[in-house]
Parts: sequence; structure tokens; C-alpha cells
Amino acid sequence: MAARALRAARRCSELAGAVNRAVWRLPGLTQVRWSRYGPEFRDPLIDKEHCRKPAAELTEEEKYDQDLRKTQLIKAAPAAQTCSVFADPVISKFTNMMMKGGNKVLARSLMAQTLEAVKRKQFEKYHAASAEEQATIERNPYTIFHQALKNCEPVIGLVPILKGGHFYQVPVPLSDRRRRFLAMKWMIKECRENKPRQTLMPEKLSHELLEAFANKGPVIKRKHDMHKMAEANRALAHYRWW
Amino acid sequence: MAAPCVSCCRGLSYRLFLGLRVNFAQTQGYWQTLPVDAQTAPESQRAIAYLFPSGLFEKRARPIMKHPEQIFPKQRAIQWGEDGRPFHFLFYTGKQSYYSLMHDTYGKLLQLEKHNDPFPQKTESMNLIGSRWLIKEELEEMLVEKLSDQDYMQFIRLLEKLLTLQYGPAEEEFIQRFRRSVTIQSQKQLIEPLQYDEQGMAFSTSEGRRKSARAEAVVYERGSGKIRVNGIDYLQYFPITQDREQLMFPFHYLDRLGKHDVICTVSGGGRSAQAGAIRLAMAKALCSFITEDEVEWMRQGMHPAGLLTSDPRVRERKKPGQEGARRKFTWKKR
Repeated sequence: MAARALRAARRCSELAGAVNRAVWRLPGLTQVRWSRYGPEFRDPLIDKEHCRKPAAELTEEEKYDQDLRKTQLIKAAPAAQTCSVFADPVISKFTNMMMKGGNKVLARSLMAQTLEAVKRKQFEKYHAASAEEQATIERNPYTIFHQALKNCEPVIGLVPILKGGHFYQVPVPLSDRRRRFLAMKWMIKECRENKPRQTLMPEKLSHELLEAFANKGPVIKRKHDMHKMAEANRALAHYRWW
Repeated sequence: MAAPCVSCCRGLSYRLFLGLRVNFAQTQGYWQTLPVDAQTAPESQRAIAYLFPSGLFEKRARPIMKHPEQIFPKQRAIQWGEDGRPFHFLFYTGKQSYYSLMHDTYGKLLQLEKHNDPFPQKTESMNLIGSRWLIKEELEEMLVEKLSDQDYMQFIRLLEKLLTLQYGPAEEEFIQRFRRSVTIQSQKQLIEPLQYDEQGMAFSTSEGRRKSARAEAVVYERGSGKIRVNGIDYLQYFPITQDREQLMFPFHYLDRLGKHDVICTVSGGGRSAQAGAIRLAMAKALCSFITEDEVEWMRQGMHPAGLLTSDPRVRERKKPGQEGARRKFTWKKR
């Protein structure tokens, strides 16, 4: 019963999208952002384990989803995505943001070197530490990466709003994806700009990641600055209308 | 047998002319051998009819016309009587069919809500997977009325709400009037039949394309996971890890990593496009090996993973007045 209501809600939101898309497909109205896929194409689901589940374990929602996908057209899987255990969506997103001029090979190699550098530094610390400290040192570069980015995410952001001819910086809650984006962007910007000319990107990035993991460093400082500004402009919060 | 004759009137008149000649001959008594009387005269016409094939009377040569419903759009009959009073009680809303339909649907909804069990048992819901709601254009055609987007969405929302309640066969029939069927996409995929070479090993061939790269892959049934591209080992042909990961993707998804041998040829495109083309070709070829097992859901699993769709994305053209496909020239204030 609840599943039916959920399905109805989802279909309603799809409907709105479908009506909008139908409006855009009229002749005489050209879209600025269009894609080679028609509006009826759905994103692919690259999850081997999800596919493997026997029918008994699936909930009603998942069964419905699976059946629905059989009738829908699905886009092709992107070239950078596989069902491998080593594929991490956060790492892929960070690699794409680091990429310049479409040079994915270079960006991916830099990412690999960064993770290796993080691992080496942590292992050196591990071997130099005493037995009690060894239990607290984290050596998995992926956990360090995820935790560092999570520590850098701001909770609240500022948005310029025009009122009475002036732009005011109004504190606004940020969505999850905006927060993740800001954390990654600050990290990359910090590593590109505020470093001596001779240091390479992996070295600087691994250093910043380890500092962010320990909740210190320039990126964490920038996050705190953003929070302080939002706290200072608290009085302007009622300018927000959404 | 009779071919349609373009100048059929000429043939007809010629027939009549010859028939008249026959009549004349009959009356003048030219042909003494044939006893001609009033009863056999039409038979003589029929006897020579085969000499003058005419399509004028041929059923198959009749002009094919569209059904009048296709030529003349559906129009409403006059909605009011002689005294000027409209027939329908919702005439003055302007969209009487739409509002009466909404009225009926809402009436059904209220009825179901009144009789609804607060703890409904699991009833067999009708199969909504293979069908879709009719689109706005189809609804307009059905009601012979112009609708706005909001009207259409409101109606579909009502129907969706109706679906969440327990309904009987009468309501189901009512709802089915507004559903159209949709094809199952994964069944559209053509499965190549298996071929057998001299040693008796089964193999399957298929093609794939991505941007301007064209690939053809031959997947053998038994092997050790070796892939040869254009006669070169895949490790040398694709030095980049990402491309080799793409080659492994279909096999890894089906848990058949070291079990098949592949020999493929590829041309055109760049390094990533060639890898994508080979991936598609291999995925399509693997389909024929899976359907032999009982586990058919594997093939149905490749479709939601996007392995069986040909990527239609190509490089977007540069537009005039802009620097690139999307990038505009620098904006200068003056």
C-alpha cells in the first residue's frame, strides 16, 4: 500500500518532467542544453550485486523497478565507469574535476600517485610509532580520502541576493551534492594555487588530504571562515524566500 | 488476370464498337454457320470480352482512399438544441468532456474511498509495467477538446490516486481505457545464433560502434581470457588502464572473466572510442552464450547496466557566432 503510494509519487514527478520535455520538443522552441539521448532514456544501473539478488530477497519497490527498467530505454554506460570493486564514484568525480583540457590519463595518474603517497606517508608513520599509537593510525588511502573530504564539507553556505539595489550575502542551507562539490573544489584550488612552484600535485594533495583528515589545514580553515561569515550575516537570513 | 487499363473508356468503346459490329453481323446474317438469335446475342459479347481487358470494372483496381475519419478531423456535433439550451450540464465550463471525465473519475474515487478497507489484503494489481498512460495528444484526440498541460497532469494524478485504492473489475476497465501498451526493450535485442568452427568450438560474432569507430568481435566459447585486437595483444594495443577496464566490463559483469577468448578487429575513432566499440560488440556477442543457460536474467541485467545500448553521442558542431560548440566569444561591454 505504501509502496503503491511511493510509486504514484515517483510517477507524478516523472510526469512533470515528461510534460516539460514534451513542451521542449515542440518545433520552434530550441533548447540550449540538449543531448543525443531522447528524454525517455534512463540512467544505467551498474551494480552487479543488485542484479544478482534472487527474486525472493527483493522488496516490492525493487521488483517494480527491475520490471520497469525492462520496458525503458537505457543510456549506454559511460566510458569511465565499470562494475569493478576498485571503481569509486567519489574518486572518479575528483579525478574529473582535477582534469585539464580533457587529459584524463594525466589526471588519473596524478590521483594514483596521490593515493600512493598518502599510503607511503601513513606507513612511515606507522612503522615509526609505538604499539598503542599504531592502532589509531589509519593506513587505507581510500578511507583517508573520504573522511578528509567529509571533514571539508561546509554545512551552510552564502548566496548573494539582490535587495534594494544591493547584493547581500545571505546564509542558506546547502544540498548534499553542493557540499561535496565545494569540498572537492576548495581542495583542488588550494593545491593548485597556494604551493611553491617546484612541488608536484600528488605531493601537495596528499599533504592536504592528511591535514584535512586530522581536521587542520587551509581547507578546513576556509570551511570555518564560511561558517563564521554565515553566523555573522545571520540577521539577513529572512531575505531567503525558498 | 485483367490488367488495369488506363484508357479504359477507349477499350470500352472499342468493345462496344466491336460488339455493335457483331450485332450488325448477326442481324445482317453474315455468319451463316452460327445460329444467332436474341438469346445468344449477349453471350457473344461475353465471349469476346477476354480480348479487351479493362481495369474499369476490376475490384482490385479501385482507387484506395483513406478512411473519412482520417481526412476530416473529428468535430463536435452541435451542443445545443433548437431552443438554444445546451445538452450537457457542463457546457458552460468550456471543456465539457474533460470536466465530465474528471467528475466521473472523482466520483469513482469517492466511492472507492467510502468502501475502502483500512487494512487491505494483497490483491493482484494489474500489470502496469508493459503499459503507459496515454499522452496529452492522445487524450485530446479522445475528448475532441484542447487541454492544457495542467489539466492533463491533474487528470493523470487522479488516475494514479485511483490506482492506490482497492478497485474492482469495473474500475480496472475504466483505467485500462487510458493505458497504452509499451514494448519490452530487452526483448528487442537480436541474439546472434551460435556458429561452430572446424574444431567444434562454438563462437559468436557481432559488431559495435562508438563515435566513428567500428569494431567486430568474435567471442569463443572456451578460452583463457585472451583478447587479440587487430592481431595485437590487448595489453599492447591499449596501454591505458581505462580502456582495458572497458574491455573487461562485460565479462566481469557476467562473472566470466577468464572463460572466453576474443579476437576482434577495430578501425576508426580514437583510443577511447575503439575501446567502447569493442565493449559493445563483445556484450552483444556474449548474449548468445547466456541464453543457453537457464539464467536469462543475466542478459536482462546487461540491458539496465547500459552494456547493450549503442552510444549515440558524437562531437557537437561548432556554431556560427560562437567560439566552439558551447563556448561563446568574450563579452565586451563596448
